[in-house]
Amino acid sequence: MSTPKHIPLIETKKLCKSYFNDDLETPVLFDIDLVIERGEFVAIMGPSGSGKSTLMHILGFLDHHTKGQFLFQGEPATKMDEDTLAKIRATRVSFVFQAFNLLPRTTVFQNVLLPLLYHPTIPAAEREGRVQRAIEAVGLSERSTYLSNQLSGGQKQRVAIARALVTQPEVIFADEPTGNLDSASGTHVMAALQALHRAGHTIILVTHEQSTAEHAERILKIYDGKITDDLRSFKRRHAKDGITIEK
Amino acid sequence: MLMRDLLQTASKGVTVNRGRSLLTMLGIIIGVGAVVLMTSVGRSMEGVILGQISVLGPDTVAVFPGNQGPEGGNSALRPDFDSLTFADADTLAQLDTVTDVAPVVFVSGNARYGTEESDPRIVGSLPGYYENQTVEAALGRLHDESDERTARSVVVIGSDIAEDLFLNQSPLDKRIEIANKKYTVIGVLKPVGTQFFQNADERIIIPFSTAIAVTHRTYADMIVLKAQGDLDLVLADVTSLLRQRHGIIPPMDGGTENDDFLIRSAAQAQEILGTVSLGLTLFITMIAGISLIVGGIGIMNIMLVSVTERTREIGLRKAVGARRRDILLQFLIESVFLTFIGGVIGVGIGLGLDYVLATAVGKYLDNYTFEVSIGAIVLALAMAAATGIAFGIYPARKAADLNPIEALQYE
Repeated sequence: MSTPKHIPLIETKKLCKSYFNDDLETPVLFDIDLVIERGEFVAIMGPSGSGKSTLMHILGFLDHHTKGQFLFQGEPATKMDEDTLAKIRATRVSFVFQAFNLLPRTTVFQNVLLPLLYHPTIPAAEREGRVQRAIEAVGLSERSTYLSNQLSGGQKQRVAIARALVTQPEVIFADEPTGNLDSASGTHVMAALQALHRAGHTIILVTHEQSTAEHAERILKIYDGKITDDLRSFKRRHAKDGITIEK
Repeated sequence: MLMRDLLQTASKGVTVNRGRSLLTMLGIIIGVGAVVLMTSVGRSMEGVILGQISVLGPDTVAVFPGNQGPEGGNSALRPDFDSLTFADADTLAQLDTVTDVAPVVFVSGNARYGTEESDPRIVGSLPGYYENQTVEAALGRLHDESDERTARSVVVIGSDIAEDLFLNQSPLDKRIEIANKKYTVIGVLKPVGTQFFQNADERIIIPFSTAIAVTHRTYADMIVLKAQGDLDLVLADVTSLLRQRHGIIPPMDGGTENDDFLIRSAAQAQEILGTVSLGLTLFITMIAGISLIVGGIGIMNIMLVSVTERTREIGLRKAVGARRRDILLQFLIESVFLTFIGGVIGVGIGLGLDYVLATAVGKYLDNYTFEVSIGAIVLALAMAAATGIAFGIYPARKAADLNPIEALQYE
């Protein structure tokens, strides 16, 4: 009796990405071979312009690669049409951005609700409870009626985290989530991501800071579009004031 | 995305910038308002036109001398002004298809009683005139054959003339003066309002024989008669008889350019006035349509600005799972919201203006009433919504086609 073949959550083979401006090709990523398993907390670390954000955008179905293979649970991304990609973004992945990207002049509640509007299976009756639990998990219950512009940077990023976890996705991508924050707020955000990881989510963190990357259990170093190191984080940092996650 | 969520999202997009949305709607408001106002005015005018003619009845026919149309007060200024003779009227009366043939002679002059003076239209005609013009006496009597035989100096006056000259007194048996000649008032006509936009209550009718004696005229200013049976046949009868009497040979194509007379029926007049009114309504509706197009371009412009302003929002929506059609519908519904709300405001303003207009004009024009055309309102709103779709589709497609990551990184 043969054991079923192991299928990783994310796998890339010789993945390349180039940008084209008229006839001018600008290569950004070269022959990326990568495997990320379910439940991992991976940091992609590299200097500015190294291609780390581009890699995250491709793995998060926000952008397309130009050569090689990208498999999500064994399924090649190139065979997915736009509606399928949108469905994956709605149900299986979510994002936390450096610039927060909250809807302006909109309440915390409405911002966290946004992904549920596009979720194909979560019924409308369940939305309110899910949004409230997500806001509670990041400790902002008292501020759910605040407008996004009435919040501090740290609070905005926690709203973004609540928005990322409200659909209970398999993978949460965080692109420089502490980049616009002071160190105390940054610690709070990293604590939140570690709590999400403990709750079973796969976390892929993009950062240029070694100290931030050390919150992950695995660090991929990227330089000039190539992965130069794939390390276990031996002296892993643990952020305090973590959030509570309901699974 | 559920339709309810789409509607909520789109309505928020419209209400978040109220001032700008209202300014954007202005073209649509004006366009729809104009459509509603003009179609309502058109309907009201139709009522007025029908009112002008309904008193006469469609079978009333008037024959005018010359071939330049009945317009222009003094027939003596027109060529062939003397082409209709009294003998023509007598011969027409022999036809089986007509009744109440009455030649008309207009007499010039003011009417005076004591110190009161009035400027009436003075008509000299036979008693048949009352029949074919459908007028009756409110007081006293109408003049009859015996008045005609003796060319009696009697008058029947319109209700407005009675009021002008006699105020609250009874006009009967009073002596009024017209062109230095005294006449006895024997009757007052029932008010009939305006006919062909002339106040029919401002006329004075004197016996035909008296008018001839005063004016020494040998030709009629017009001949009025009532058609019996098919109107087209009657008109053909009258035309052929007059051509025969006047020795006119019509051209081969049956045109009327050789005739020295012109025949008009109330039904024809109604048709002409109706056509003019319809033409006017269509013309102004066309202008309103142009306003809708201009308004639509304004909507498209603002929607394009909105798409550019909200590029990051569109990127975010795509990042959290919005499909192309979700974004397309969101912006399309926003655009339709703008035009539809503009349309509703336009309908309100159009009806409001129409009501004010109807109240003001109704005082001067009989039968001008406030008319609401439900069909026009529905059409105007549908046109507004269609404008929203037509001019919203391009910005909506532009939004829907945005690449999520480029949109998220838009500065």
